Amino acid sequence: MSPTRRPRTPALLVTALVTGLGAALTLAACTSTSSATGDAASADASGPDVLRIGYQLIPNGDLVVKHEGWLEEALPGTDVQWIRFDSGGDVNTAVVAGSVDVGLAGSSPVTRGLSKPLDIDYRVLWVHDVIGDAESLVARDGSGVSSVADLAGRTIATPFASTAHYSLTAALAEAGVGEDDVRLVDLQPADILGAWTRGDVDAAYVWEPTLSELGGTVLTTSTQVAQGGHPTYDLGVVTRAFADEHPDAVDAWLEAQDRAVALLQDDPDAAAEAIGAELDLPTDEVTTQLAGLTFLRGSEQAGETYFGTPDAPGAFAASLASAAQFLHAQGAIDAVPDVADLQDRIAVDALARVFGGR
Amino acid sequence: MSAQDVAARALPAAQDRSDDERRERAARRRARARTLGLRLVALAVLLGAWWLVAALEVWPRVLVPSPGDVLDAFVTVSGLAPDASGRTGFSGHLLHEHLGTSLRRIVVGSGIGTVLGVVLGLLVATVGPVRTVLEPAVTFLRQLPPLAYFSLLVIWFGIEETPKIWLLLVAAMPPVAVATAAAVGGVHRDYVNGARSLGAGRWDVARWVVLPAALPEILVGIRLGVGVAYTSVVAAETVNGVPGIGGMIRDAQRYLQTDVVVLGILVLGVSGLLLDACLRAVERRAGPWRGRA
Repeated sequence: MSPTRRPRTPALLVTALVTGLGAALTLAACTSTSSATGDAASADASGPDVLRIGYQLIPNGDLVVKHEGWLEEALPGTDVQWIRFDSGGDVNTAVVAGSVDVGLAGSSPVTRGLSKPLDIDYRVLWVHDVIGDAESLVARDGSGVSSVADLAGRTIATPFASTAHYSLTAALAEAGVGEDDVRLVDLQPADILGAWTRGDVDAAYVWEPTLSELGGTVLTTSTQVAQGGHPTYDLGVVTRAFADEHPDAVDAWLEAQDRAVALLQDDPDAAAEAIGAELDLPTDEVTTQLAGLTFLRGSEQAGETYFGTPDAPGAFAASLASAAQFLHAQGAIDAVPDVADLQDRIAVDALARVFGGR
Repeated sequence: MSAQDVAARALPAAQDRSDDERRERAARRRARARTLGLRLVALAVLLGAWWLVAALEVWPRVLVPSPGDVLDAFVTVSGLAPDASGRTGFSGHLLHEHLGTSLRRIVVGSGIGTVLGVVLGLLVATVGPVRTVLEPAVTFLRQLPPLAYFSLLVIWFGIEETPKIWLLLVAAMPPVAVATAAAVGGVHRDYVNGARSLGAGRWDVARWVVLPAALPEILVGIRLGVGVAYTSVVAAETVNGVPGIGGMIRDAQRYLQTDVVVLGILVLGVSGLLLDACLRAVERRAGPWRGRA
């Protein structure tokens, strides 16, 4: 027995050593590549070689910019890469991992990103849209639910960690329904549709296009929840490193987004067509979805209701802080950042550069 | 020669043998101690490397939590002590509730899967037409990744326990069926013929010859099946999986709470090892003649 066993000792040792070595090598490789890209980026100050954009399939100006190729046009020397994500949480992860420079995420993932423990080093650059009736709480016909207060003891589905989840929690709190009185189920929009059809859930807080497919009775909308003091947005964020190194590229990005909002307001059909091409949806369906969102020009965003200017900060930081307070009470974040700190996390300087004179 | 003489002469021989045995036992104990020591060293090296990588902050702390962070997560999630904001548990449940729910799903799913697998395997091994029809079907099922058919199960059975049990059942059944069929088909003809010639009936042959001969291999199949079910539990908990370890991992990933993700993985790994050890003990108990007959 022992003679056959003896060779195992060195074999095991070798395995342990090889594993350790492998880990060390991977480590070394990773650090060297990251420093190499860092050098390349700082060496070329004229414009970025690469601009990596994390986008989502949400009907707003970002998709118009992507479809029309306005960024590629404005930054000819730059390799513009569009990377698709399914949720703001994934965009947060990608930013932390250093694989995205500019990203789109809902206001509640961004609030989480700006708070501890994540504390991601990015700045809010743009409001892609203000979420209105495009996200709503609906009850299934036949469930006997006709108001938010009726939901006590019922099953409600929503994609967790999303703006819809945030609005649902706010709506329940407003109606005096405790979190323990309802059964919240974490489901993605497509799964909500299936569970809804089978009758497994009584209500759902979800966005378009799933919202229209569900039908049912609308109990509340994000417009109403916003009036109750809990607005939600889709936001554009940029990493501080990228914004500091490439202000010109940031300006070009802002110009392109503003141009898209102008198109959305002046020629909605043309905008809907471009968005429809990205979403694989007919134009009239996109038009319906767009109706549930509000779009803001750059000059409006630089106004006091939103970001404001470097000299006169707007109300947006306070709005983010109250969202953070709410999330903290829910246990989603460890601590509430203070308003002054959040003010610094809004890229008002870039907005002032581009839209200051308008 | 008297009986005493025989005893006197046999005594030193017996002593020799017991000395041999003692020496062998001591050697075995030393080998076991060495294996254990090596494993502990390897574990310490791994923990040290992990701690070092986390301490150097090669990657942001959010992505690579330190062993201490994971320990803190364990203390909070298992309910031993509340965190800074006075909370315990994760997603509204304590760690043992998550683990217990997952294990219950595995036991129920792979239990039903095992019974069906053994029956199916027996049918495949003994009835010709059944083999022709079912063998490719079982192989087909065995090759499918669980996530591929889970979407269908959710559409058919909803979001509660039923689709999860189905997924684990479908995952656990094929390995058991294949092992059973192979084991029963592989029973030596001589054993069967021998028993027959001694007058054993069909039932006697099945009960006293085929089953004992096939049992060790069937048990290996069951161990494999439970293992496959175990690795599928996270897939089963991608939809409405809370409470459940898979659901907990997913939830933590949403909020980028990497320490809880790592904790979930460690808990899954350790409980998997324990489960496998239990099954292996059963295997040794139920078929000690394996590899010797």
